Amino acid sequence: MNLNYSDEQNMLREQVLKFCETNYDFADREKILDSEAGYSPENWKEFAELGWLAVPFSEDNGGYNFGPIELTVLFEEFGKSLVVEPYLSSVVMSGTILENSNYSAKQALLESIISGVHQISVAYAEANIGYNFLDCVTSLDAKGDNLVLNGSKTIVLNAANSNQFIVLAIHNGKPALVLVDSDTSGLELQSFRTLDGQTCGELTFENVALNSDALIASGDEATSLFNQMIDVSILCISAEAVGAMTSAYQKTVQYTKEREQFSQPISNFQVLQHRMVDMFVETEITKSLLIKATLQLDSKDAETSKTISALKVQVGKAGKYIGQQAVQLHGGMGVSNEMSIGHYLKRFTVIDSMFGNTQHHINKYSSL
Amino acid sequence: MDISFSEQDLQFQEEIRSALANDYPSHVREKQEQGMVLSKQDMIDFHKFLYEKNWAGYNWPVEFGGTGWSPVQIYLFLNELAAAQCPTILPFGVSMVGPVIYTFGNQEQKDRFLPDILQFNSWWCQGYSEPGSGSDLASLKTKAVLEGDHYIVNGAKTWTTLAQNADWIFCLVRTETTQKKQEGISFLLIDMNTPGIEVKPIITIDGDHEVNTVFFTDVKVPADQLIGEEGKGWTYAKFLLAHERFGIAGVPVCKVQISRLKEKTAHYNDLDLNKKIAEVEIDLMALEFTELRALAAIAGGGHPGAESSILKIRGTEIQQRISELFVEAAGQYILAYEGPDGFESNKTPAGPDHASDSVAHYLNFRKTSIYGGSNEIQKNIIAKAILGV
Repeated sequence: MNLNYSDEQNMLREQVLKFCETNYDFADREKILDSEAGYSPENWKEFAELGWLAVPFSEDNGGYNFGPIELTVLFEEFGKSLVVEPYLSSVVMSGTILENSNYSAKQALLESIISGVHQISVAYAEANIGYNFLDCVTSLDAKGDNLVLNGSKTIVLNAANSNQFIVLAIHNGKPALVLVDSDTSGLELQSFRTLDGQTCGELTFENVALNSDALIASGDEATSLFNQMIDVSILCISAEAVGAMTSAYQKTVQYTKEREQFSQPISNFQVLQHRMVDMFVETEITKSLLIKATLQLDSKDAETSKTISALKVQVGKAGKYIGQQAVQLHGGMGVSNEMSIGHYLKRFTVIDSMFGNTQHHINKYSSL
Repeated sequence: MDISFSEQDLQFQEEIRSALANDYPSHVREKQEQGMVLSKQDMIDFHKFLYEKNWAGYNWPVEFGGTGWSPVQIYLFLNELAAAQCPTILPFGVSMVGPVIYTFGNQEQKDRFLPDILQFNSWWCQGYSEPGSGSDLASLKTKAVLEGDHYIVNGAKTWTTLAQNADWIFCLVRTETTQKKQEGISFLLIDMNTPGIEVKPIITIDGDHEVNTVFFTDVKVPADQLIGEEGKGWTYAKFLLAHERFGIAGVPVCKVQISRLKEKTAHYNDLDLNKKIAEVEIDLMALEFTELRALAAIAGGGHPGAESSILKIRGTEIQQRISELFVEAAGQYILAYEGPDGFESNKTPAGPDHASDSVAHYLNFRKTSIYGGSNEIQKNIIAKAILGV
């Protein structure tokens, strides 16, 4: 039994930590979010140069043969500084689908993702289906030798910056994943800011004509690719949440040591000490489920999906508790947008809402 | 024991209800029903409407232009306002500085300030908290030095709600450095147009501009704007806090919010959500009756004591819980969010229509367990005053 990270994994962590220390203080992040793209193309270029965009991919596809452990290392460090670059949408979500697929063009697509020149987003959510993504309405129909896509997708992450979309649609009564260029005629994009300042968009497809080679997968293969992608994505945002929890409780401890009321640091008050202890305990408990889920996903354990749901539940509960308490213990400063602490609460709220919230995963867990 | 209201009280309630049904300004009502943000003018219109109905001094004695209502009538009045989806009456004039002026001010001050408060000709804000003085309010440092017939004020006040709209601010200032920090504090009224005052917005995490920091640099304040005696400001501030407690539980607003939540989510048939709504409704029922017990005690001639801290703690917990359930009900559709004013009309994302305000409200309402004496401070009050520890 050994739960230590390898030297290589530790090096990766150090590298991300150092990058964030130099390039990602709260003011840097604010500046990035204020830009039109909502992320930093310079940072993205650097991610590519450092090889981070290749982390989850096999050597055949230009990657490092790394897996879930390395992804969680990256995301935990990203979470500490609330990194906003579109790693989740482009590398994890689109990358996982492509990597595991038998799609003929996947190698070229993955290479373009790894090089940082190309971004792809997965369009999976719709207006009226909640978290039952596979029960979607968007349809992909045959028309002669070609395909026609109709419908709409919402909260597509990083949509305005993406060159292509992998769209989940119903084809012959079953789920299918299809690749659509962002400049295809019949595709319309409406862009929004997200609650935590990033970007997302709504896509509308009106008789979008596609070649048959745009079809990445259909039927059971598409379902399995999609579900795998959701599992890996939950793992990544959970690791991000653990990083954010670590920062949130540490920043709170620091603040209470500095803030004086009644002629003493407020960290002297036992009620606040216990609250911060609870924040720390929740962080550690979450980390435990994160590591368990990571190892199960890595070894393709049959129980993986169940543990992923357990993890998502814990992340939802702990994130809410830690985010709210961090704000509470910062007092008025906690609700001020100029301080970083409230942005952790926003990120926890976003993370809980994505890919099934706490209640959704409690129900899923009990059904598995 | 009898908790029912008297015939006269019920008749009073009916009068308020029908007057609201007929006369509540429709442009304000519509915005409130749709969860839209009210403009400064909307707020002024609403308060002027209260004055026209002779309700503005709902918690004041008749001799100062108030209604002279009993605690039960005040309770029923505030309930009816909330049930009709009125905005919360701004407390700064009518519930805070007004009672201080008519209790501790001189005749000239009463004549000068009280009519404008009732008529809402002047918008007041509260200068209490400072960057270094929050829970420990008595440690405040903003200094007022008497020079001839003026005080010269220097310092900063923060978390000042709607200072950007205010004509006047009432401030706790330090006129003397004393051994005991509560002594040496005075209560000063300051015209916001006085040179040397700068209002700097604080944007909160929901993206809204509700609070500010107000800076004072050599601000010259006529000495006749001091209320009562120098050095007695802390006594007045404590008196004011007792007044502020009325309706602090926010029960009627919570009721409106719960029925709105039920209405918005009924078609989901989501059993898990419905159970959670039921739980918070039960909490609210218990809190409402706790408030009625306090009301019965006051109506019987008692004074609201540390029990009002129970109302503050549980009330804000319930308000926050309801805001969480709205967010939970909106699920992933909270993701697209462009600020508290919502989306431009030609640009509304998919998902339930309450998603955007739900998240705005959730983030905004984190303040409730922090402001007005944080819930931790309220628990200290109960521990000390009731448990005697």
